[in-house]
Amino acid sequence: MFWQFFQDALFAAIAAIGFAAISRPPRRAYLFCAVIAAAGHSVRFMLMHSAGGGWHIVPATAAASVVIGILAVLVSPKTKVPAEAYLYPALLPMIPGVYAYRTFGALVMCLYNGGEASFSHYFYLFASNGLTCFFILLVMVVGATVPIFMMKKISFQATRHNSSL
Amino acid sequence: MAKMTDSAGGCVFRPSAKDLCAFLSDYAGWLFSCGATCVRLEKNVGRIASAAGLRADLSIFPRHLHITVSDSCRSFLFTAVSSIHDCPVNFAMNTRLSKLSWDIADGNVDFVCARRELEEITTAPAGDNGRLPLMVACANGAFCRLFGGDAVAMAVVFVATFAGFIIKQVMGERRVDQRVTVVVCSFVSSVLAAADGLFALGSTPSIAIGTSVLYLVPGIPFINSFCDVVDRHYICAFGRLMNALVITACLSAGLCGGMVMMNVGMF
Repeated sequence: MFWQFFQDALFAAIAAIGFAAISRPPRRAYLFCAVIAAAGHSVRFMLMHSAGGGWHIVPATAAASVVIGILAVLVSPKTKVPAEAYLYPALLPMIPGVYAYRTFGALVMCLYNGGEASFSHYFYLFASNGLTCFFILLVMVVGATVPIFMMKKISFQATRHNSSL
Repeated sequence: MAKMTDSAGGCVFRPSAKDLCAFLSDYAGWLFSCGATCVRLEKNVGRIASAAGLRADLSIFPRHLHITVSDSCRSFLFTAVSSIHDCPVNFAMNTRLSKLSWDIADGNVDFVCARRELEEITTAPAGDNGRLPLMVACANGAFCRLFGGDAVAMAVVFVATFAGFIIKQVMGERRVDQRVTVVVCSFVSSVLAAADGLFALGSTPSIAIGTSVLYLVPGIPFINSFCDVVDRHYICAFGRLMNALVITACLSAGLCGGMVMMNVGMF
C-alpha cells in the first residue's frame, strides 16, 4: 500500500512537471507544481483507498482539488507566480482520461450497433462513463478555483514585488 | 534614462489619457493572450489606470478587447480596441505582466519605463523548445502509469507522445491552423500507440491508446472558462469553452481516425 501511494505521488509529480512545461511557467514554479500535484493526487488516492471501502472518485477528486487550490494560492506569493500557473499542471494528473476515452468509444459503438440490446448496452456505457467524466471535471475545476476567489487578496497580490503576504 | 520621481521618491506615472488608453490596450491584449483570466485582466488594468489617477472599463470578447479610459467625472473618454494575439499560453509572460502592474501601482516605474518593459516582455523569446517534447513525453508516460498502464504501455505512450509533440511544434512553426494540427497529432499518436495492442507487446493496450493523446487536451481554456463563469464573464467563458470543445472534438476525430485505420476496437 505504501509503495502504491509513493508511486502515485511520484508519477503525478512527473506528469505535472512535464505538462507545466507546455504552459511555460517561470522556472522557479516547476518544483512547486510537482509538490502540489503529488499532494493533491495523494489525497485522492488515500481517500479512495481508505478503510471501509473508500470514497467514490467524484467526492475524492473534489477534496483533492480543494487541497490543490489552497496550496496553489498559499505558495503563489512566496514564489511571486500567479496561482493559476500551478493549477493546471497539478490538476492534470486527475483528468478522467480513461472515462473520457470509454465515453467516446461507447458513443462510436452505439452508432455502429443498430440492434436494440447492443445499442442499450453501449448507451449505458456511454452514459455511465460520460456522467462520471463530466462530474469529475466539474468538481476538479470548481474545487481548485474556489480557493482563488475565497482568498482574493492573496491570489491577486502574489506578483507584487514588496508584498507583505 | 533618468526616471521621473515625485517628492516621496516614487516614480511618476502620469501619462495622458490617450497614451494610457493605447498602453492599456496593448497590455490587456497580451495579458489575455498569454492565458490570464478575466478577473486578473480587470484587476491589473484597473490597478494601472488608478496609478495614473484615471479609470478604465473593459469589454472582453473572445477575439477582441474594448477599453475605455476616462477621468472620475467622465469629462473625457478614450476608447481603443485590440485583437487577441494568437500565441500559446505563457505563464512566465503572465507573471511578468502582473508584476509590471504592481510595479506601476507601487511607483517603481514611470510611464516610459513601463512602455519599454511591456515591449521587452512581449518580444522576449518564449524559451527553449528543444527539451519540451522529451518533458511532455515523460509526463504522458507517467500519466499512463497513473491510469494503470504497464511498463510497455508507458514506453509506447512515451514514443507516441514524443512523435506527436514534435509534429505539433513543426506545424505550429509553419502557422498551420491549431485545429488541423490537433487532428494530425492525435492521429499520429494514436496510430503509434496502437502498436501495443497490434503486436501484443503489453497487457494494457487500451490504456496506452487512450492516454497517448491526452497531451493535446486544452486544460487551461477549460479551467479559465470556469473562472470566468465564477466572475460572471459569461460571453468570454462561453468563447473559451467553445474553443476548448472544438479542440477536444478535433482530438477525438484524430483518435477515431487512428483507431479505425489500425482496426483497433474500443471494448
